[in-house]
Amino acid sequence: MILLNNQTYVPADDLVAVSVPTLSLSDITKTYAGVVALENVSFDVLPGEVHALLGENGAGKSTLMNVASGTVQPDSGTIRVGGETIDVLSPALAAASGIAIVHQHPAVLPDMTVLENLQVALPASAFSSTAASSASSAPDAAGSVEQIAGRMLAEMGLTAHLRDRVETLTVAQKHLLEIAKALALKPRILVLDEPTAPLGQDSVDLLFARVRAAVADGTSVIYITHRMAEVRQLATRVTVLRDGRFRGTAAVAEITDDELLALIVGRKLESTFPPKHEADGTEPVNFVLKGFTGPGFEDVNASTTRGQILGVAGVVGNGQSELLRALAGLESFTGTATVADRAVTPTELLHRAGYMPADRHREGLMMTLTVQENAAISALTKFKKFLVLSSPREVTEVGSTLDSLNVKAPAMDAVVSSLSGGNQQKVVMARALLSEPLIVVADEPTQGVDVGARLEIYKILRQVSASGIPVIIASSDAKELEGLCDQVIVMSRGHAVDLIVGDEITEERIVRAAVSSTTHTIEVPTVRKQRPLAGTKVRSEGFARFVQGDYAPTVLLVGIIVLLGAFIFSQNARYLSAFNIYSVLTLVAALGFIALGQTIALIIGGIDLSVGPLAGFLVVVGSFFFNDDKPLSIVALGLVLMFVVAIATGFVNGALIRFGKFTAIAATLTLYIALQGLSFLLRDSPDGYIGSGVTAVMTTKVGPVPIAFIVLVVVAVLLEFALRRTRWGRRLRATGSSEESARRIGVNINKTVILAYMLTSIFAFVGAIMLMVQIGVGDPAQGVSYTLTSITAVVLGGTSLLGGRGTFIGTLFGSILLIQVLNATTFLGLSQMWQYIFQGVLILAAAVLYSVARSRKKKLEALA
Amino acid sequence: MERQVTGLKRPRRRASKGLITVGVALVILLVASAVLAPSSLSQGAVLGMLPFASVLAVVGLGQMLVVQQGGIDLSVPGAVSLAIVIVSRIPNGDNALLVPAILLAFGFAAAAGLLNGFLVGRLGLNAIIATLGTNALLFAAVLGISGGSPTTTTRLLQSVAGGLSFGIPNSVFFAAVVSVVVIVLVKKTVAGRRFEAIGANPTAARATGLRVRVHQTAAYVWAQLLYCIAGVLLAGITAQPTAFQGNTYLIPAVAVVVLGGTSLLGGRGFPLATVVAAVFLSQLDQFNLAVGVPYAVRTLVQAAALAVGVALYTIDWSRVRGRFTSSRPTKVATTV
Repeated sequence: MILLNNQTYVPADDLVAVSVPTLSLSDITKTYAGVVALENVSFDVLPGEVHALLGENGAGKSTLMNVASGTVQPDSGTIRVGGETIDVLSPALAAASGIAIVHQHPAVLPDMTVLENLQVALPASAFSSTAASSASSAPDAAGSVEQIAGRMLAEMGLTAHLRDRVETLTVAQKHLLEIAKALALKPRILVLDEPTAPLGQDSVDLLFARVRAAVADGTSVIYITHRMAEVRQLATRVTVLRDGRFRGTAAVAEITDDELLALIVGRKLESTFPPKHEADGTEPVNFVLKGFTGPGFEDVNASTTRGQILGVAGVVGNGQSELLRALAGLESFTGTATVADRAVTPTELLHRAGYMPADRHREGLMMTLTVQENAAISALTKFKKFLVLSSPREVTEVGSTLDSLNVKAPAMDAVVSSLSGGNQQKVVMARALLSEPLIVVADEPTQGVDVGARLEIYKILRQVSASGIPVIIASSDAKELEGLCDQVIVMSRGHAVDLIVGDEITEERIVRAAVSSTTHTIEVPTVRKQRPLAGTKVRSEGFARFVQGDYAPTVLLVGIIVLLGAFIFSQNARYLSAFNIYSVLTLVAALGFIALGQTIALIIGGIDLSVGPLAGFLVVVGSFFFNDDKPLSIVALGLVLMFVVAIATGFVNGALIRFGKFTAIAATLTLYIALQGLSFLLRDSPDGYIGSGVTAVMTTKVGPVPIAFIVLVVVAVLLEFALRRTRWGRRLRATGSSEESARRIGVNINKTVILAYMLTSIFAFVGAIMLMVQIGVGDPAQGVSYTLTSITAVVLGGTSLLGGRGTFIGTLFGSILLIQVLNATTFLGLSQMWQYIFQGVLILAAAVLYSVARSRKKKLEALA
Repeated sequence: MERQVTGLKRPRRRASKGLITVGVALVILLVASAVLAPSSLSQGAVLGMLPFASVLAVVGLGQMLVVQQGGIDLSVPGAVSLAIVIVSRIPNGDNALLVPAILLAFGFAAAAGLLNGFLVGRLGLNAIIATLGTNALLFAAVLGISGGSPTTTTRLLQSVAGGLSFGIPNSVFFAAVVSVVVIVLVKKTVAGRRFEAIGANPTAARATGLRVRVHQTAAYVWAQLLYCIAGVLLAGITAQPTAFQGNTYLIPAVAVVVLGGTSLLGGRGFPLATVVAAVFLSQLDQFNLAVGVPYAVRTLVQAAALAVGVALYTIDWSRVRGRFTSSRPTKVATTV
């Protein structure tokens, strides 16, 4: 039974069982800035069924599912979960109601291990043995967290080790992990958004088996796809959307492919098209692709004559963008691309292709620059007069090109971000045309462009093509390709599955080729072999994982510390005297605490430049309270005051970053300067001697080892444990690893970041207490240098400045090595110059070594 | 709203937001100086202020180039100190050795710039770490050459860099020439325009075929050359420069860049505004000195200026205004 009516939704009575739908959306309408994304769409899913959701790109499938998962609030309509009407569905409420969604782009955290990814995304209850045993069919289901997590992976056929970093996984493996996460929640409603796109055949079979098993347990599955074959394999019912409207619901068994196709295609024409090229048979061939292969696409062939526009069709993410990027010279390729009888190289294409990327904001325009600057950037050499640019010539030529494209803007020097999407796209075109390109490559040229400007863009592309420059256009809008192109390649999973020419180019033919393809993925974008199975790789795995792990730098540091210590001792026996050990470790304690705090800031992907001046300022504050003549209550008051100042500083840092949108550098640099100013405000010269009572307490020692150092070690170990094993630690690293993914799995970013900066300041406070005793007086000029030394210590320890990975133990040893090196110069009789050489070489060597090790690993993976 | 015009309006010469802001601030400061502390505008005070403003302007321009590429250069102290030490210690009073010493200083500067550029542009290291390491190495060179003790500069340098022409300190002329060169290079040449585009969006610049890494490396080299000029000037201005003279320029250099309106995220640079900001900060010192407020206030003003300078560009003020003037748009409730 097919319902062709756009407006009225008549339930297919013979299909709908008496049971209550698990999820029911009725008359959902959602508009974005006047554009209708969904109009009176109704959709429901029953317990234990797979309901497929079909439609072209932009049909409204994802918006509808975002409504279902609470991330988008509809303008009107009713949402019922399990028969109960819900007024406002929030993401938290959706999750609590058992709705799990697997997005097309996995929300995984690259710097964390597979196990940690599971732990940070799933509630602790998912790992309790009772939950596992009740859900799993295996009788021995109870077990450790590792065993339970291992089973989650095994059920999805994911061969990765639990301790592998997710960064090292293939795209397909990341997807499997994402699906495993969703299934582990035992959801009542599981939404799968094109889950098979990156998967190979084996994984697809496994996935389908798992979905069927979940359905048998009563889970309702909503399955978004473009592929009819999958609908037939898996779904019981299918609903088709088009242009944000409901097109029909039917039982899969009772509808033919042709009927389904008729529901999918037939979008209303949004724009007219300029007339196509009239071939007279004499035009020369000006563009040929032969065996064109690159990352994400394989063996693409095409040949067009002068005046013909070549279209690249397919569902988004099937290799079209990669193909176009290769044509723009941004990816390497094998095979040949010939433009006007001459094979072109990637380098040539990079400089000579007029590329119009799909993502204008990221790759197309310099948003903060003006219209003119953006348009002129590829053609500047044309406007050169002697050594400098001739402004009149540039203005005339760029202006006339912009005028010929009918760009509407307040002026040529208006900031390009103030223009509408259509006019921004025209600026990109103006740049391409001004550069006198070999070919024009346009990826989704009318995305986000209003209807009026579309026709103009089509006309310009036609003119360019008529002038003899080959034009290649990728679009997910089959209607657009039908109207604009003379030849269309249809891509599916990286392969060209159809080549349509001339009058045969119809939306229906294109969509049919795209949706009925059954080719399997060549694992976009890394065409690499699946990792060997777990059993075969045990020998080198443990070592390899260790080298890639967080503790490799620490081991290296310990080695250096021991060797350096042994060397100095061989030169000067007093090096290991109790006095020297004591003084070195005391210095380590002050630096160590501040560096531990800095580690927290770096792990979340930030930096705290204010720790040094904060420590200095706190010493100055303390120097008013911690004196010999002051009673204990005053000392305690001072301590509290220092603590409050520290917390406030951290809060201001975090708030400026999260709410003021400051960069971490700008925010903490502001505090750096301010705190220094405040120090000098309280004391313009050193004064306020620290009481001997306080000093005595702080300098207690056990043998030659100061108590403070022991405390530092204990704190570092505790922090390390918290970082690895607690929810706080995992959230911290998740935020630094990928803020976007962390947000999607439910981490409160604002809270995490602000708390992190407050904690950083608290450690600066502890460091300041150590410092106070060492300096012995309130000196406003002291402390500042701890900012840079703390960063040095943290970097030596192996914490990444990119965020997401780090270690407190490493920081501890980094601090020890740094102090040791500074101390070494005195014992080796070296001048102060050597202190600086050691410091500089150490930090640069560490940074280069760690970052090169990391990038080479990535490169190797890309090649494998 | 966009205007519906056929034929785009041609660009007009307009002062940037940063230049207007910092220019107005300078005028207000000058008026305040004239009214509240006339002594800060006395001939002696101005002649004392201008050389240091010139040095700060040159250092600031160097920092601006790096910031334009989304980086930050912490090797300013080492670079300035090294130039000072080379041009004062190596001639050690001998005027004939001054020119070779200056050439040597530029050689060191170029090497340091290439090191920074290689580490950041080529190896992709974080700018903070790379320049921090380079700074330590530069200070090692400083101590290696000077042994840490100050030296008296040569007479020749003192008269050239520290002297007066037409009643104006020579350093002002040097700074003016440097500023003009930077402005022309960045704003009027092919390389300069590409440089700004890369800073504004490296990904898009790469997609249009620009050599991103070369320009990023160049930023650090140019910056070092400017720090070197500043160091040479400073060596002439101060009679007995210390080995750590450059330390005082790191934070003010970043402050003048931000005050001038250049975003720490990279992109367009505002050289003229940066120079004006340098004069502003230097005059602020004179003013504070004349009024008798402590050194601390100057630092706090710098911090406030930095915060305001950043907030002007990062915070969406129209939204903030909207929040205060009108009630929040009510969300359309889901109908039942």
